[in-house]
Amino acid sequence: MIDFELNETQQQIKSFVHMFAEQMVRPISLVADRDHGLPPEFLARVNEMRNAFTMGAIPKEYGGEGDGAGGKDKKGGRSANLTAAIGSEEMCWGDAAVVLTLPGPGLGGPPVRSMGTPEQQERFFGVFQKPGLHWGAYGLTEPGAGSDVAAIRTTCVKDGDHWILNGTKCFITNGARADWVVIFATVDAAQGRAGHRAFVVEKGTPGFRIGKIEEKMGLRASETAELVLEDARVPAANLLGGEDSYRTKEGFMGAMKTFDSTRPLVGAMAIGIGRAAYEHARDFVKEHYLLSRPVPRYRAIAERLARIARRLDAARLLVWRAAWMADRGLANAKEASMAKAYAGQAAIFACIEAIEVCGAPGAAAGSDHAFLDKWFRDIKVFDIFEGTGQIQRIVISKRILSGLKSF
Amino acid sequence: MVSFEPSEDQQLIQSTVRSYAEKVLRPRLRDFERARCLPDEVMQALHEMGVTTLTIPESAGGPGLGLGTAVLAEEELAAGDAAVPYAMGGAGSLGAVVMELGTDEQKTRLLAPFCEPDAWKHRGALAFSEPRPAASPGLSTTATRTALGWRLDGKKSFVLNGGIAQATVVFAQVDQPAGWEGLGAFVIESDRPGMTAGPRMGTVGLDAAHFGELVLEGCVVPEANRLSGVEKVGHGLLRAFSRISLHSAARAVGLSRAAFDITREYCETRQAFGKPIGHFQAIAFTLADRLMDLDSARWMLWRAAARWDAGKDAGKQTAMAAAHAFEVAMRAADDAVQLHGGAGFIRDVCVEKMMRDAKTIALTAPPVAVQDALVADGELGVQHDLAAVLPTPDIQPIFT
Repeated sequence: MIDFELNETQQQIKSFVHMFAEQMVRPISLVADRDHGLPPEFLARVNEMRNAFTMGAIPKEYGGEGDGAGGKDKKGGRSANLTAAIGSEEMCWGDAAVVLTLPGPGLGGPPVRSMGTPEQQERFFGVFQKPGLHWGAYGLTEPGAGSDVAAIRTTCVKDGDHWILNGTKCFITNGARADWVVIFATVDAAQGRAGHRAFVVEKGTPGFRIGKIEEKMGLRASETAELVLEDARVPAANLLGGEDSYRTKEGFMGAMKTFDSTRPLVGAMAIGIGRAAYEHARDFVKEHYLLSRPVPRYRAIAERLARIARRLDAARLLVWRAAWMADRGLANAKEASMAKAYAGQAAIFACIEAIEVCGAPGAAAGSDHAFLDKWFRDIKVFDIFEGTGQIQRIVISKRILSGLKSF
Repeated sequence: MVSFEPSEDQQLIQSTVRSYAEKVLRPRLRDFERARCLPDEVMQALHEMGVTTLTIPESAGGPGLGLGTAVLAEEELAAGDAAVPYAMGGAGSLGAVVMELGTDEQKTRLLAPFCEPDAWKHRGALAFSEPRPAASPGLSTTATRTALGWRLDGKKSFVLNGGIAQATVVFAQVDQPAGWEGLGAFVIESDRPGMTAGPRMGTVGLDAAHFGELVLEGCVVPEANRLSGVEKVGHGLLRAFSRISLHSAARAVGLSRAAFDITREYCETRQAFGKPIGHFQAIAFTLADRLMDLDSARWMLWRAAARWDAGKDAGKQTAMAAAHAFEVAMRAADDAVQLHGGAGFIRDVCVEKMMRDAKTIALTAPPVAVQDALVADGELGVQHDLAAVLPTPDIQPIFT
């Protein structure tokens, strides 16, 4: 039956995360942005509550909340993806950089989960049960290979019970602080996707070092690092899935599958930021325009607000749809890309419009509207990372034009 | 629990209507357009299928299905030919008004005739729009109390089924100083003296549907024909327009889907520079954008309908769905013509008709600007100012 109401568990998670975002995250948001990082005591505090936020990233059998976080519906259907989308939106309403910095496996979680052997899952997810702050990371992008992931040039050569990795990875979220990073490398660049291998490279691996930490337009509190592999010796046991699993095309598919489950979440995150900007503008209008300004001016502003609201809303429903499909075990590559592409643009639109609605002070960093400046800088990358809007459209249109064989 | 899956009953209705739309409506849409009406056998078939009476309550002899089911069926009809839901029999907008403004007795009495097995030619009409704005806030058509009942005088225009409907609900000014709060709604049967039909209007699209003018000169109706289920007629009318918007949005979604499907097929077959044009990203990306539009419009529509059926206030969600669907349909049809190139401009392909229909559909309910005003009021938590959120003759008269 068609239904758009959240279940009780989802409503609770939504209001809990919102409260956290409002009371804990927003107050440190501007400072964290200025300082390019989060206060350690904040991270420690968040770490204590991490199971509430990792939402399904770590399977139950390895100490996490697993798929159960969203509860099950009457027919026993899962809802972890949808619940994660709802939580992500609320957290990013608080601050997206904080979400990216939360201790946990991050983007490294999905490939370990979908490709890792039970022993590997136990070992790498087990890290997060130890005391202290722990992160995982995902290293695919290289200076010469972004959206065209098949073009990666980081090499791996077997040497006894180790692999020797050489290359540079860039724009890696939490790359410098991560306990381990899933690194994609190739045995033979000429083989394209078939040559890809995924390794879990642990901190302290000989030959593995941190390069520069990037300064960015937005999401400044989130760490974005360059990782350098110079004859890095990675144990053979860290090759995700073991050597046999690469006889098929699964190496590359594993990397891509990550995106089917994370793209709707990135869409949800974008909506969280867009909504924050929108609500700020809406509340500003409420106070400043409603009663004291001539009607035509008010109408123009009101219509503007309505347009932002419905674009964000349309985006949210696309995200929910993609997440719902993932929960039902349906192939959702097309819908995941639609959600991400649409949400990124809707949220950028919201952040730009919100500044205009508030006028010149809206673009001034030191004003009452300082958040608008931050959100405007934060949001742009949501149409870039995890696949640019153009890459999403390639994914979508390939599936629309399924009749074109060689497309 | 969030779910995007229609119930089994809904899926059955959906597939029945879809198969009829594919087999009968789509292949003959140019015939309907040329004839400017639907042939009798199509009207009969649609009535037998039940799509003309879906939401009429059981008390009036209808199936009493929810709007959630109605929007599914209407998407399918419109995907066949968007003019069909406007040209077929049924209570139409009159039904929406009676549902929102009528007493239980009036709902039963006025809607029952549409459910008779042989009522396939029975049509309802809503006469709200007027050719010119009144001098003061409110409508220029007046209703005056007389010894025999209410006497109506004035001129109505852009009326769907105006002049061919068996029953027409006419909005008139009962209390002039009260402005938009001072409206009354009166149901006028086709044989009542004092109401005459003006000429049929030519429209940019939806050619099979009949739009006409009505002239009221001393037309007297009994008190029982005044819809008296709610005290605030203006606000009831707002709800009726919201219902009408939901139907129009469903049709806009159906049209968008059809335009998208036809264009996708064309892009897979039409060759340029030695390969199908879908290979070019300028083409492929346009399709991707239109699919995002289409899907999001459908989910917004479903969500609004679900809120109606759950008895929750759905004003804001419906306005969002309608505004989005109207814009989406226009873009879908525009790009359909564009991607067909010169062929899109030639009447051998039906995308040019879709573009004309899309523009017309967007004027069969409060227009996008008015929908956005409703959304903004909801977002800002302010009371609706009727003068700003009704499709009044001074804002933008619509096809009613």
